[in-house]
Amino acid sequence: MSEALELDDIQGLVARGYGGLPEASFVLLEIADAVQARGWLSGLAGRVTAGSVRPDERAVHVAIAAGGLAKLGLPPEALASFPLELREGMTTEFRQRILGDVDASAPETWRWGGPTTRPVDMVLLLYARGRQELSALYEEEHAGFMAGGLHEIEVLDTSTLTDREHFGFRDGISQPTVEGLGREDVPANTVKAGEFVLGYQNEYEKYTDRPTVPASADPHGLLPSHPDDSALHDLGRNGSYLVMRQMSQDVRGFWRFVAGACPGPDGASDPEAATRLAAKMVGRWPDGAPVTVSPDRDDPALSDLNDFGYGNEDGDGLHCPIGAHVRRTHPRDSLDPDPGTDRSIEIDKRHRLLRRGRAYGPTVPPEERLLDAVDDEPRGLHFIVLCANIVRQFEFVQHTWVNNPKFDGLYEDVDPLVGRRDAAGATFTIPGTPVRERITGIPSFVTVRGGGYFFLPGLRALRYLANLPLL
Amino acid sequence: MTTQRALTIVAPVDVEHRPALRELLLQAGADPAGNELVPFGRITGTHFGRLLILDEATDLHGAPLRPLLMLMADVDGPADAYLERLVAVAGSGLDRLFGVCDGYPAGSPSAADRLAFLRAHLVKEGAFYANTIGRTVEQIQQEAQLREALQGFLDRSRRELIGRDPLAVRNAIRQFIEREPSLRWARRPVPRPGLLYRLREKAHLLAVPLALLPFTPLLIAGAPLFAVVLRLHELTDPAPRSVPDPALVKRLAAIEDHTAQNQFSALGFVKPGLFRRLLANVVLFATNYAARHVFNHANLAGVKTIHFARWVFLDDQRRVIFCSNYDGSLESYMDDFIDKVAWGLNAAFSNGYGFPRVRWLFFDGARDELAFKQYLRSHQHPTEVWFSAYPDLTALNVENNAQIRAGLFGRMTEAQAETWLRKL
Repeated sequence: MSEALELDDIQGLVARGYGGLPEASFVLLEIADAVQARGWLSGLAGRVTAGSVRPDERAVHVAIAAGGLAKLGLPPEALASFPLELREGMTTEFRQRILGDVDASAPETWRWGGPTTRPVDMVLLLYARGRQELSALYEEEHAGFMAGGLHEIEVLDTSTLTDREHFGFRDGISQPTVEGLGREDVPANTVKAGEFVLGYQNEYEKYTDRPTVPASADPHGLLPSHPDDSALHDLGRNGSYLVMRQMSQDVRGFWRFVAGACPGPDGASDPEAATRLAAKMVGRWPDGAPVTVSPDRDDPALSDLNDFGYGNEDGDGLHCPIGAHVRRTHPRDSLDPDPGTDRSIEIDKRHRLLRRGRAYGPTVPPEERLLDAVDDEPRGLHFIVLCANIVRQFEFVQHTWVNNPKFDGLYEDVDPLVGRRDAAGATFTIPGTPVRERITGIPSFVTVRGGGYFFLPGLRALRYLANLPLL
Repeated sequence: MTTQRALTIVAPVDVEHRPALRELLLQAGADPAGNELVPFGRITGTHFGRLLILDEATDLHGAPLRPLLMLMADVDGPADAYLERLVAVAGSGLDRLFGVCDGYPAGSPSAADRLAFLRAHLVKEGAFYANTIGRTVEQIQQEAQLREALQGFLDRSRRELIGRDPLAVRNAIRQFIEREPSLRWARRPVPRPGLLYRLREKAHLLAVPLALLPFTPLLIAGAPLFAVVLRLHELTDPAPRSVPDPALVKRLAAIEDHTAQNQFSALGFVKPGLFRRLLANVVLFATNYAARHVFNHANLAGVKTIHFARWVFLDDQRRVIFCSNYDGSLESYMDDFIDKVAWGLNAAFSNGYGFPRVRWLFFDGARDELAFKQYLRSHQHPTEVWFSAYPDLTALNVENNAQIRAGLFGRMTEAQAETWLRKL
């Protein structure tokens, strides 16, 4: 029996990705004046979209970094109750190493969120039905926060939502179904709400630690009391953590590389072979069909297929290589101790992420992918994921699966699409008969340009933060 | 057959020497293979080596505990033969390392003096786990070299091999090895364990249950009482939630995730009282027995990422240190514990003070994910010097390499050859 979710207190971004609001902007804010900012936040709390409504015009969300919480005046003991990763942020030396944020992706080079750029205290996420509606929404909000003690660091624009990411692959097919949101899905893809929202049971049937405030710091009782400790009030309940990374994509670099790796008999590139190699690297065909189910060709009938595994039929990766992007970011039933069983799926479910990212920058039309750069427009993904435990979910996937050359018995293969590169480039092994093929020297196609860890508070928590006692 | 041993040297130090000694260790830690104290890389038969110094502490009753200097290594062959090699290679480095310890020979000690000191401070572990019993450093390194050579061969010859049947490809690989002088050793398989060894293991396997047999009536009669006492302890033992100090976490993280492997050292008090101390001994004895006879080949109840692990009692069994060498991140290591062997962890660690509350020796405990992870992190101790003879190989790689070599010999069907070729 699943617990009922308090959707009227949960920010709607947890419940839905807003496919019906294809335009979005993410506004990075710095708090200049805490007193004014609290006043602004108080008003904003009334405009933030709750999970209980399904907006068809616009949606507004706000997430706050540790620095922002401190500036708003959250008491130190409350701040200390947040997980260490949120307090320390994404850019510590250790996290650079495990996330792969080195060389061209090093935080020193970031456009935002890095050690030398202005501190991103909050991010305001705006969604609208159309371009004009988004402009209007932005203008309204802009006037508010400019008068409300905040500095606008940058507005991260997004391109109109489609079902493709920039490399040209159908994206967003696999999302975990959150238990308790009223959607039906197969058990393998139904994940406990506590993996994404604080205050509910997680996949260990436990409650993930959540931030608290001393009861004395909540004299008006804006927050619920903590179920295990009456001296504490529950700041985390119905909140989540939001991980944001700006990932710039080198679309032409990607397609040129695969073309160069697939020479036809006449020496020129064999486009069919190049698409096949690209699909092997991604793990799905451009139209979405899983390579493990349809190993030889794209199949539009399988575009939406999400109920499949690797463990029984494709354990050795003869169809979908073990190192492929989607296989290692969501291994389904393929990992130890018992590939192909529910025990394996149970493990996968402890590392799921709710993906809420949006692409930015102009699309490269397929026929222009191999041309010399006709534009040098920045393009990529504003990667956004929600989870309840950044270490066990986001960092684990990035470290133990994406960047780990030893993933699932491999030797030297990181994620061919997004994994960390060393000087020699990445290696990608394609199992085959009688022997495997190795693609080596794969350059980097994705560069991190910014990022941060944020708290996505529940609405009561947001009102509490807006009403913190004046310093 | 050469089996692996857990070498543990424990030497108490005066508090005043501890800071300088730690400094010395930290300097050596920059070059674990060739440092001037214990150049682990030059001592034949070293899989893993570590040096660490435990801070002074007070035990659960408030009694002071002195700092302890520890040298640990997972080694091939008998511990005493290893000590001799260690003394021969490290020489005066041992004087710098152990010079301030009680009873270390003064002046310029002879090799025999150094050996005598080490022997006198050798401590028998409570339990020892080796990923695969009998697989030597030499075998692991050679088989990694074999796999590397075969990768090169396949990259060069793939065009010619495509379209040929698996048996023909296997033959081509075997011919390549015949031609390759640097792979001469790979022309024969790893020797099977000798008859004597197998008989001895069988004898040990049977001897333990046989020795317990006469006590069966007693054990059966005592079981209900044991169960009641155990449950009472479990219900009343304090299980305070440990919160790791961010400064400690920072120190620990700084030395993690630099290669495919990581080290783990954790230190804790045995819960007070005779019952817990006895139970800790029984559980570690059983762990050792299971590691020797059941989990002795590449798979610890579903966990395939641990190279070596050991538990060592310290300070008259008031404390235990657990040390392991494992693959991948600490987070994945802890997840493996929780997801795959929580029962074993609960049995082994629930006699430790502060462990999350366990039910009936095997249940709950580590399944309380965050409490368990914070318990481990809070009890973890930085390892000042850490050496691995094959830092870029996971235990899965090592096992796969061994299977590659093993598949070079004997007859195979086409299907068997096809399966074997996928390991390459």
